[in-house]
Amino acid sequence: MKKLKKATILSLVCILVALATGCSNGSADGKTHLTFQIWDVYQRDGMQAVCDAYTAQHPDVVVEVQVTSWNEYWTKLEAAAISNQMPDIFWMHTNEILKYADYGKIADLTDLYDEVGQPGFFQEHFSEISLSNVQGSDGRYYGVPKDKDTVGLVYNKEMFDAAKVPYPDETWTWDDLCDASQKIYDATGKYGYMAYGDDQLGYWNFVYQNGGCILSEDNITGGFDQQATIDAMRFYMDLQKNDWCPDQNYFAETAPGTAFFSEQGAMFFEGNWNILQEMNNYPNMQGKWDVAVLPKCPTPANGDGRATISNGLCYATSPTGKNYEIVKDLLRFMGSEEGQRVQGESGAAIPAYIGLEDTWVGVFDQFDYKLNVSCFTDMFEYGVQSVNNKYRPTWKTQVSDNLLKIYSGQQSFEDGMKAMQDAINNAALED
Amino acid sequence: MVKASKHAKSESMWAYIMVAPTIIGLLALNIYPLIDTIKLSFSKTLPFGLYELKGIQNYVQMFASPEFWRANMNTIYFCVLTVPIGIFLSLVVAVMLNTKIKGQTAFRAIFFLPMVVAPAAVAMVWKWMFNTEYGIINTILAHKVNWITDANIVMITCAIVAIWSAIGYDAVLLLSGLQNISKSYYEAASLDGATKMQQFFHITLPMVSPTLFVVLIMRLMASIKVYDLIYMMIEESNPALTSAQSLMYLFYRESYVTGNRGLGSSVVIWTVALIGLVTVVQFVGQKKWVNYEV
Repeated sequence: MKKLKKATILSLVCILVALATGCSNGSADGKTHLTFQIWDVYQRDGMQAVCDAYTAQHPDVVVEVQVTSWNEYWTKLEAAAISNQMPDIFWMHTNEILKYADYGKIADLTDLYDEVGQPGFFQEHFSEISLSNVQGSDGRYYGVPKDKDTVGLVYNKEMFDAAKVPYPDETWTWDDLCDASQKIYDATGKYGYMAYGDDQLGYWNFVYQNGGCILSEDNITGGFDQQATIDAMRFYMDLQKNDWCPDQNYFAETAPGTAFFSEQGAMFFEGNWNILQEMNNYPNMQGKWDVAVLPKCPTPANGDGRATISNGLCYATSPTGKNYEIVKDLLRFMGSEEGQRVQGESGAAIPAYIGLEDTWVGVFDQFDYKLNVSCFTDMFEYGVQSVNNKYRPTWKTQVSDNLLKIYSGQQSFEDGMKAMQDAINNAALED
Repeated sequence: MVKASKHAKSESMWAYIMVAPTIIGLLALNIYPLIDTIKLSFSKTLPFGLYELKGIQNYVQMFASPEFWRANMNTIYFCVLTVPIGIFLSLVVAVMLNTKIKGQTAFRAIFFLPMVVAPAAVAMVWKWMFNTEYGIINTILAHKVNWITDANIVMITCAIVAIWSAIGYDAVLLLSGLQNISKSYYEAASLDGATKMQQFFHITLPMVSPTLFVVLIMRLMASIKVYDLIYMMIEESNPALTSAQSLMYLFYRESYVTGNRGLGSSVVIWTVALIGLVTVVQFVGQKKWVNYEV
């Protein structure tokens, strides 16, 4: 009995010691330990590879990649920002960057490369959209662009074959999308294009293809009062009235991706960031599906009918971190050609760095079936920056609530559009 | 006043030291956040924990919001659905588990199992069972009932899951109450020719009423505070969301999705007041039906 007690105490002491050293920022080994917080578990290896490439050149630095799920990430990061204990480096999303930048919680990195004699680095190597996605309300850069993405059309080849419909290509318009859906439904009884109540992977694309907008040019007032927006919204929402498209009730229970990969539907819009994990997660489906550029609007109110929502993440840091200088050096590396190349080759995401898009495309060579993934990088040409302003947290839920009310018939389409427009405009007025 | 002896003084000091961990925990984890929440409910909140005291603005906005009243109705509806049926079923289960049947322990374990499983896992499994297209329940019924997405049904669906999850725990509590009832009452009653039914209503029910009262209070509080179950069952993309939004779910959306913590705090304070009121009413009402004599 006494022995047992001794053992317990000893192990407790060990745990305490381990905890204590763990908290003391580990300078026991004389190295600088940095923490790097991300939310996507599928990109952990890619991010670790980027950090390893850096620490190989800087053996005195150790970087620990930590993953927190998307839902907890923002609660945690905000709490850390309040108590001044933010991770040394973390991912920042366009949804949140304006809030963090405007409240001075993330460092202004506009001069990051100027300090080391590389002025104009950002403008030279990153697209305008990438840079817009890292800007605060004051127009300065609060992050190093990490990646960029587009939305594409994913389709089931077997269902197209069964209905004897040619595969989607860059000539496709909205009409082809509907025709193919109808034919597939008639031939196989499966759903065609699955149009659901999502913004980035849904109606935003249609609105911008038709020459409409969600936020007007001042980026404050809404665009739901513009005819082009209204027409595109009506077209998109009415798709669910077809037999070949499930209704919103269905999507509330079964995500379109789930329906697609259990072979219940022939097409849906997907972001490029999910493609690699879908190849890996559904090995039995490999070879049965492929990707194409988004179909274009046949009769746009203005523009050429082409658009895809292009978002991007960035690497950010706190302005008050105690390892600020080392962190800045690491950030410079992450934004450099080498850092971005490692990221692309790991398959994590399409590098934001112009000219490295193909590194991500090359990752898919590992599979026997060659997906047409380059369609995602082709679409950057007409990418539209992801919709955002600093009032979005306020209007986002209201817009989606109203969308659901239209879908369920609790509200007419016209009233719903008006309510969505008011939600966006009032959010700015309340401030 | 008599001066406390040295001994008594040191004894009382030790008493304080002994209760200190609990008191400090209570102050830091319950009382302080409560005061802070009250403060926030009177403030306009900004990101990163900043706020400005603004008076009753949040409450005015809250009481004027149809969404808030809808959430109240939804919560009350949920309580009406879960509490009476849930407690009745728990009592039935407890009485059955209290009889001498084969595999008694096994049955007790099975009924208690939902309590051991994480609520998130429970909700996930039920969600699939209730799936309109592919769920086992609709397959058995051979009907396409929109269990989760029909605004008129969604609360009933949540209530079914809530009752299922709670029966085991409530039944175990009631079972402990039942086991305290002396066998001699039943022996005497059956000698007098009382039927099983009469025994239940005239012996079991009054004798178990103190436990029943505790279960009732706890179940009602839990039902008013329902959140995790609804959060797991109802996706943001669900058209029936407004019909399933409970007070705590509204609080979550206001505080964490929209980022308006002031309004969220007002909803919490309102809910606390509501629970307080309901509990007071119950304590007054219990005098009429709870029997504390053994």
